[in-house]
Amino acid sequence: MESPNYSITQFGEVQYSHFVKKILIANRGEIAVRIIRACREMGVSPVAVYSDCDRSALHVRYADEAYAIGASAPRESYLCIDRIIAAARRSGADGVHPGYGFLAENHEFASAVRDAGLIFIGPTPDAIQTMGSKTAARSAARRAGVPVVPGTESALGADVPDAEIAAIAASVGYPLLVKAVAGGGGKGMRTVTAPADLAGAVRAARSEAGAAFGDSAVYVERQLVRPRHVEVQLLGDMHGTVLPFVERECSIQRRHQKVVEETPSRAVSPALRGAMTSAAAAVARAVGYTNAGTIEFLLEEDGRFHFLEMNTRLQVEHPITEMVTGVDLVRWQIRLARGERLDLDPAALVTPRGHAIECRIYAEDPDNNFLPSPGRIQHLRSPAGPGIRDDSGTAAGLDVPIFYDPLISKLAAWAEDRPSAVARMRRALSEYVISGIKTTVPFFSWLLGQPEFLEGRFHTTYLDDVLKTRKGRPFLEPSPDAEDVAAIAAALQAALSPGTLAQRAGAGGPPRRWRTQARAEGLR
Amino acid sequence: MRYEVEVGGRTRQVALSRVGDAFAVTVDGREWRVDAARIDAQTLSLLVDSPWQNDTQAAANAATRRISWDVSIAPDLLGGLTVCVGATPVGVTLDSRRRRGRAADAGGTGPQRIVAPMPGKVVRVLVGPGDPVRARQPLVVVEAMKMENELRAARDGTVTEMHAREGTSVDAGALLVVIQ
Repeated sequence: MESPNYSITQFGEVQYSHFVKKILIANRGEIAVRIIRACREMGVSPVAVYSDCDRSALHVRYADEAYAIGASAPRESYLCIDRIIAAARRSGADGVHPGYGFLAENHEFASAVRDAGLIFIGPTPDAIQTMGSKTAARSAARRAGVPVVPGTESALGADVPDAEIAAIAASVGYPLLVKAVAGGGGKGMRTVTAPADLAGAVRAARSEAGAAFGDSAVYVERQLVRPRHVEVQLLGDMHGTVLPFVERECSIQRRHQKVVEETPSRAVSPALRGAMTSAAAAVARAVGYTNAGTIEFLLEEDGRFHFLEMNTRLQVEHPITEMVTGVDLVRWQIRLARGERLDLDPAALVTPRGHAIECRIYAEDPDNNFLPSPGRIQHLRSPAGPGIRDDSGTAAGLDVPIFYDPLISKLAAWAEDRPSAVARMRRALSEYVISGIKTTVPFFSWLLGQPEFLEGRFHTTYLDDVLKTRKGRPFLEPSPDAEDVAAIAAALQAALSPGTLAQRAGAGGPPRRWRTQARAEGLR
Repeated sequence: MRYEVEVGGRTRQVALSRVGDAFAVTVDGREWRVDAARIDAQTLSLLVDSPWQNDTQAAANAATRRISWDVSIAPDLLGGLTVCVGATPVGVTLDSRRRRGRAADAGGTGPQRIVAPMPGKVVRVLVGPGDPVRARQPLVVVEAMKMENELRAARDGTVTEMHAREGTSVDAGALLVVIQ
């Protein structure tokens, strides 16, 4: 394990806070807001960076300082290592939190932060690099004695002939998956059910991976039958302690993207939890892992589990773990980056208190094949009340830009057991009003009424399978009463504010009002 | 005041008149008393007295139920309104304002005009003029918000116009494909 770039032994406990007093957050949206909140609670000064279209974004307004880092396209702003380091230097920040996505799993960024004399709030560049390669991560898991999904040991570079890949595939067995070594989020991944389709799938995966990650190497992995996706959150300090948390169940996925997560999993017994959490911690220890990370497993129906990959960062779905354990993971990321000891009670971390569920609220139109729905949020009312947590990155009057991930909020519900948590989530969804853009709220209202979901009978392809059978029917069909009320409301709105309505319902909307205003001022 | 309001593919005649602090509202001849409170520019709180049907017996009963509806109203991209009744979005067209784009798809006749639902980049064109297409067949792939999005045919037909070109950027509402 690499030693930290400062000595901690010469300081007493209280002096940890001398490190990392000002944090630059190299991210945007809900996760930037989440990290700003942790900073505030710890007396740390939060610094934001923003692209052109994010000037008015919530994370800019919540921060103590904010620096422009370029144009809206991620490549010209949130992915520009030099500009982010320059903003950190200018602000005098002594720590950098990468959030998730963007540069969070880029070892060159972690190195650049360290080389600039700043503390990277995350694992070491070496750990990021090792676990970022799917084949290197699989060998690390094997070395730790943890089973991996059967597949190729080493990366298959662009020069490996088709015949050789066919032989490897035959030994792995069909159906199988061709996956990009540098992949993630379902990109550079193809399912192959018969040998005849192999060569085409390898070509497609290579070209997608080359375009997305700049690395066309692939590997081959057996496709398990109806597996669940179950993952284990970890924290590691710089003194060799790694502690696992109770598992998260993330099998509800659409096109390989998680949309609902919950903890604990209905499919995990206390004995299985013991085995999975120990295995996860063993993999992390094998690579000298520090700070927050997550080990993903595929769990078969018979209880066998296989290492899938490690995410070397804070996970999107971290709030549900916080809700059932009472541990603030972002706060701990900052404490661990300062060199503090992980002194949490290990038994408490794997003993969930109650049940928590998260729905990822996306700016997508579920009734139109989940097409993105960017635009201005006209009106927003967030749910609140007992057991509800809404980690949002936006507000009424703000635009959801076209340049980034469409996640606008993560709605989480906690209750003493799973049925109560589902009921609470359904209540919260019924309070969530977002107008001006389409969101996945109606889809979640539907999903949380499905018998398979209520009974916990699902696997990673359940959602894609059930969506195919619906043939595009709307998720929330208004009742006849609701249709009458909508008609009455539209008429009343027109009667009460004819000017506003006529203006807004026509082409233009707010920009037209600005134009009118500008014209009026020009005439003065 | 009278309005023509289209909801769920059906046009309703809505008439409003003030009665004291409230409104008397008739929808296609059925009448309700509605107490409307303006919360902000887009939000109304409605208290609607039952009966929902023309039930004179119940109407005569002083103990009618008063139902609370929280409603927000916003323009949608297609030129209509989205009325959220509670958290349930309902598409509404007021008077002669036509919902552009999707209105043409929803019905069973006339050409389908496939428009870009968001600004983005055309990454693939999957059909060409003269091609027969089936309902829900992918036509064009547009990339936006880190995702590739398939635009599909609403129903069977033949492609008569193809305006999408691979590699070009399109604005929201741009006409991409016409299917007869």
